[in-house]
Amino acid sequence: MKKNIRPDGKAKVTGKMKYLTDLSFPHMLYGKILRSPYPHARILSISTDEAQRLPGVQAVITHKDVPALNGFGIVTPDQPVLCKDIVRYVGDAVAAVAADSIEIAARALELIGIQYEPLPVLDCPEKALEETAPLLHPDGNVLHRAGFQKGDIEKEFSQCAKIVEETYQVPRQLHAYMETEGGVIVPEKNGSLTVYVGTQHGFKDQFQLARILGMPAERIRIVSSPMGGSFGGKDELNIQPYGALLALKTGKPVKIHQTRQESMRSSIKRHPMKITMKTGIDREGRLRAHQTRIVADTGAYATLGPAILDFAVEHAAGPYMIQAVDTKGISVFTNNGVSGEFRGFGGNQVTFALEGQIDRLAEAIGMDGIAVRRLNIRSKQDPGPLGQRIVETDGALDVLESAAAVYAEKKRLPLKQDTWKRTGVGMAVTMHGGGLGFGRLDPAGGRLSFKEDGKIEIAFGFEEAGQGILAVIEAITAGQLGCAKEDISIIIGDTSLVPSSGSTTASRGTSMVWHSLQRLKKPFLQKLLARAARKTGIEEKRLSVGPGGIQVNGEYKLSFQELAAGEEPIVVAAQFDFPVSPDPIDSAHFLYTYSGVVAQVEADLLTGRIRVTGLHQTTAAGPVVNEMGYIGQIEGGGVMALGYTLMEDVTMTEGHYAVENFDSYLIPGIVDVPFNLQVRAIESLPAEDHYGPRGVGEIGTVAVAPAIASAIYDAVGLRVSRLPVKPEALLQSIERSVLYES
Amino acid sequence: MKVNHQTAEKTEAMPVSFLLNGETVQLNISPVMRAVDVIRNELNQTGTKISCGIGRCGACSILLNGKLAVSCLILAYQLEDASVVTIEGLSDGKQMHPIQEAFLEEGGFQCGYCTPGMIMAAKCLLDSNPKPDQADIQKAFSGNLCRCTGYGGIVRAIQCASSK
Repeated sequence: MKKNIRPDGKAKVTGKMKYLTDLSFPHMLYGKILRSPYPHARILSISTDEAQRLPGVQAVITHKDVPALNGFGIVTPDQPVLCKDIVRYVGDAVAAVAADSIEIAARALELIGIQYEPLPVLDCPEKALEETAPLLHPDGNVLHRAGFQKGDIEKEFSQCAKIVEETYQVPRQLHAYMETEGGVIVPEKNGSLTVYVGTQHGFKDQFQLARILGMPAERIRIVSSPMGGSFGGKDELNIQPYGALLALKTGKPVKIHQTRQESMRSSIKRHPMKITMKTGIDREGRLRAHQTRIVADTGAYATLGPAILDFAVEHAAGPYMIQAVDTKGISVFTNNGVSGEFRGFGGNQVTFALEGQIDRLAEAIGMDGIAVRRLNIRSKQDPGPLGQRIVETDGALDVLESAAAVYAEKKRLPLKQDTWKRTGVGMAVTMHGGGLGFGRLDPAGGRLSFKEDGKIEIAFGFEEAGQGILAVIEAITAGQLGCAKEDISIIIGDTSLVPSSGSTTASRGTSMVWHSLQRLKKPFLQKLLARAARKTGIEEKRLSVGPGGIQVNGEYKLSFQELAAGEEPIVVAAQFDFPVSPDPIDSAHFLYTYSGVVAQVEADLLTGRIRVTGLHQTTAAGPVVNEMGYIGQIEGGGVMALGYTLMEDVTMTEGHYAVENFDSYLIPGIVDVPFNLQVRAIESLPAEDHYGPRGVGEIGTVAVAPAIASAIYDAVGLRVSRLPVKPEALLQSIERSVLYES
Repeated sequence: MKVNHQTAEKTEAMPVSFLLNGETVQLNISPVMRAVDVIRNELNQTGTKISCGIGRCGACSILLNGKLAVSCLILAYQLEDASVVTIEGLSDGKQMHPIQEAFLEEGGFQCGYCTPGMIMAAKCLLDSNPKPDQADIQKAFSGNLCRCTGYGGIVRAIQCASSK
């Protein structure tokens, strides 16, 4: 069978694909951004004279050069574009330079003189929450509180046979997209601005830049695709404001492409969280009471910190039906790097804790972990984790049974005969909401046109970051209309050409493309076939769309080019919102996907090193649109989560990054991952389901850490509560247990 | 090192001459310039990528006299008299190289940013070892990072290319 080749594939494997950081323009300047050397300080003075005098320097900008709002942030614009009096983390920008070369720009940064008065550094949420702590923002150091209560928690705890309380700590993770932030910002002759910089929501960048530059949004064009990876990390603005200000000031195109070190310092990361869970189970194995306390370190600025905490609170009880739930979370401003949007969006953190609790509780009452899960897992009609009605599927039980079968099979494998090696198998399950949730602006839409040249053009305001949205658009459009892939041209990632489709985040792209086509298909085909009837004189009901053109009773009749000849284009557009629950519960999700993961590990008792030798992921997310893309998302997500579990931690010391590149921050290489990754898709949906394929951009990352943790316990008896699991942790635990026993 | 880019030095440009994808290139370059910058910026061959700048990720991999090399750790003057092959030199312009076809058909990439480097590493491997086993593949790609695929698609692409 011919594999489904991605539309952007050939350009990528031949090196011909022009990423936005590959672009260059005549008379282009190079920009660099000067960031704070202190995690918290008062700016006493800024002197740019010497830098400005350096030959080749075309512009130096500071806060004085920001024409309108000196702030950005998708929801709350609390991060200064260029700091005026206070810096709150080492990524804060204070000045920027455009010069004839990167080297001159770099030299100019060294010539900018800034006097700082260092201020006390709040390097953890605990310090930031002390009463005497300096306030990092006018409303204090608490960014957001969220909670959920259900049932009588104390009464239910009193009915429990066993209660387990544990605090889980999860690290700050780097997105580590291979293409660092960058692109070119071009001032056009008519005074408008074209911004060739990757982002996950072009219209949102346009909105944010308009209020910074004091320019009408329609005079800012955002070209946002393709990207060399994003994973949530390029959702917020990064270098765009600096490039835009410098381009406007110099009247020349300005290119900024951050080095990896610059990227590490300024980019958002995954939220470190401290999660305390106290969970009770009764003698029969029913979960009765589940209390969760979450402390999230959002760092210096908000970005989507509040929404991420809401998501973590929502998913704290996961796919389990528990009598009483009491969840409280707080996200806190500190002088650490900014935490924000990252694949999984707070779900990964709480799922690690929750599944750890289930394993511990099962052991405490002497039951099998899978049996406990089976007893408590949601069924089709059960309400969602915030009590809201959700789209009904059997996904939760399906992935559990699939994982259970794989688990049983892996457990039957003979143990490795090696004095210094131990092997183990573990599993975990989860559910993950798609879309932004109830009460959040979550618009979607698309446009379908039949062009003068006979091409069927489909346009969405989405971006291609590698996830495969182009292949999804192509497959769904061709599938729904009945035409060939070659008949279609796809437009994305350019605000001057696309309709508003909402953000390319929250696993919503695939869903929204399918939903758009459901709305566009009928009116489009009606117009197309009406024209075909007029042109051929054949009754409309005998006509249909086929590969290459119009068919009569399945016989090829008229090519699309012939159908288009001499005619006006046909244009059909749809605007709608991501579906939400009928129950008005703020931030609650409606469309969930499910995952069951089995991990196999091998622990080296001499080095403490843990190797994941097998990773088997089952996903229930409706029909698979593009098999290669689906497998790639789940495998790639799984390996990213493997890194989160065993390797990755953007450590900070007193507000300074202790890692700066891939020599001190290691992401999984080919030798760190199982050679044969296993992916299984459960595609079935209830007959009455009309929500189509769900996006799988995030789900593959969510339940991998707890499955590996569970396998580590199986191998060496270490209960993991802190990620990443370092060799030291394993060695210490071995000293306490395994070696003495043998 | 705070930044990758050498701060401006008063250096005299020096001539360098090498073969790039079979064609002779003659340039006057600063002696502190990295090979990757010359390839990408001076010669506009942007298929070779830049990601870590310290030789850890392999995105800038090229073939230097037939051997795999990271062009961010080579200074441009070191290319003197050398033969350099980049991703652009792998296909003849009409037909893709079988390795490129295998990456395309097996999903050996997603965002595509590490892909040119991966394909150069694959070329280097398969040139010397047409039937690599698991250990050979792991060794050959140990210098190339991919954040998207989890390496599954890349492994399948190599297995596919080596069976052709």
